[in-house]
Amino acid sequence: MRQPLSPQSGANKSRRVELHIPAEPEWVGVARLTAAGIASRLDFSIEDLEDLKLAVAEACNCCIQNGGDGDLSMACELQSDHIAIAVERRGALAKPGARQPASGDDAELGGLGVFLIRALMDDVVYSSDQTGTRLTLIKRLGK
Amino acid sequence: MSSRVRTDGAEERFDRDQTREWFAQYAASRDPEIREELVVAHLNLVRYLAVRFANRGESIDDLIQVGTVGLIKAIDRFDNERGVEFTTYATPTIIGEIKRHFRDKGWSVKVPRRLQELNLAVNRAVETLALELGRSVTVSDLAARLEASVEDIIESQELGQAYNVLSLDTELAAEGEARSATLLDYVGSHDEALELFENKANLEAAIHVLDPRERVIVYLRFYESLSQTEIAKRLDVSQMHVSRLQARALAKLKQSLKVDEG
Repeated sequence: MRQPLSPQSGANKSRRVELHIPAEPEWVGVARLTAAGIASRLDFSIEDLEDLKLAVAEACNCCIQNGGDGDLSMACELQSDHIAIAVERRGALAKPGARQPASGDDAELGGLGVFLIRALMDDVVYSSDQTGTRLTLIKRLGK
Repeated sequence: MSSRVRTDGAEERFDRDQTREWFAQYAASRDPEIREELVVAHLNLVRYLAVRFANRGESIDDLIQVGTVGLIKAIDRFDNERGVEFTTYATPTIIGEIKRHFRDKGWSVKVPRRLQELNLAVNRAVETLALELGRSVTVSDLAARLEASVEDIIESQELGQAYNVLSLDTELAAEGEARSATLLDYVGSHDEALELFENKANLEAAIHVLDPRERVIVYLRFYESLSQTEIAKRLDVSQMHVSRLQARALAKLKQSLKVDEG
């Protein structure tokens, strides 16, 4: 049984899509489009969809920049009132030590991209260590 | 994409200490020269953020300009004592200002239109290009001809439909259907409530159950025949919000009329 990306609300059946792409900048557009295509199945506004695309692209870039050896994977899960997107790349950081947090500040951990993502999404979980980089983004319908 | 705030190591450490020092001085003196130093020191942050919104159809210079307004607001409001990094504090403010700019420009109306136009342009170009090239066209052929990105071409084809759903007045031209219905036709409860409007006399009495804002929305929607999007723009709220208020207003009216009848 796969771990759901976010707590499931009631009897709502989850709809999940997974994507694996090479960890290269030229593939990020595919992740953006996929995420937007999936999210548009909920009634997100255009602004929310654009924000989601931007956040997904930043999450992918963050994983690419942090390095690692694996592909980039993205899992999108639709619930009735939100979408959860997990972007992950496994493997050790490219520059060990370079992004060790001094103050626990996101800027040092993941660069400005993580700030940007936090400003655009409703919930963000970010972790990056020697096992890989993971970001989970949650965007809720109509606030 | 080099940016002062992105660099690692000693340089960044210096910048942070310097920034903190400036903020301490600025808090004490409100000296415009220090403020200017702070603005200049963080322009890279504005540029970094503005570039990310550049594919939404506004010029990068405009975005940097409104982003800088956000930066200045953030500088004036920043409290050095709270122990938050300035970049953490400023990013949402700058993004907020950039997004407000899009909203002011009626961007949420323009984007679907742009995608629809691109969708039509693609359909036209497919034919002419196929004739010119003597083969099936590729997405990159289309991108080159229409001066759009590959992603935009795909999006206009795949998501163009989904984006349209936003306006209640959007025509849903389903394949093989002669009549093109609007989304509003599918909102059953609204139709039911609309019928009540035929009884104007009752309505005039009933309208007093609405608060002023609901009254304005009902007026604009059903007397001025504005779309929810247009109303949203006029009242400077989201279309979703208008939709909710409208639904609530109609429910109230309905309730009121029912009570009167019974």
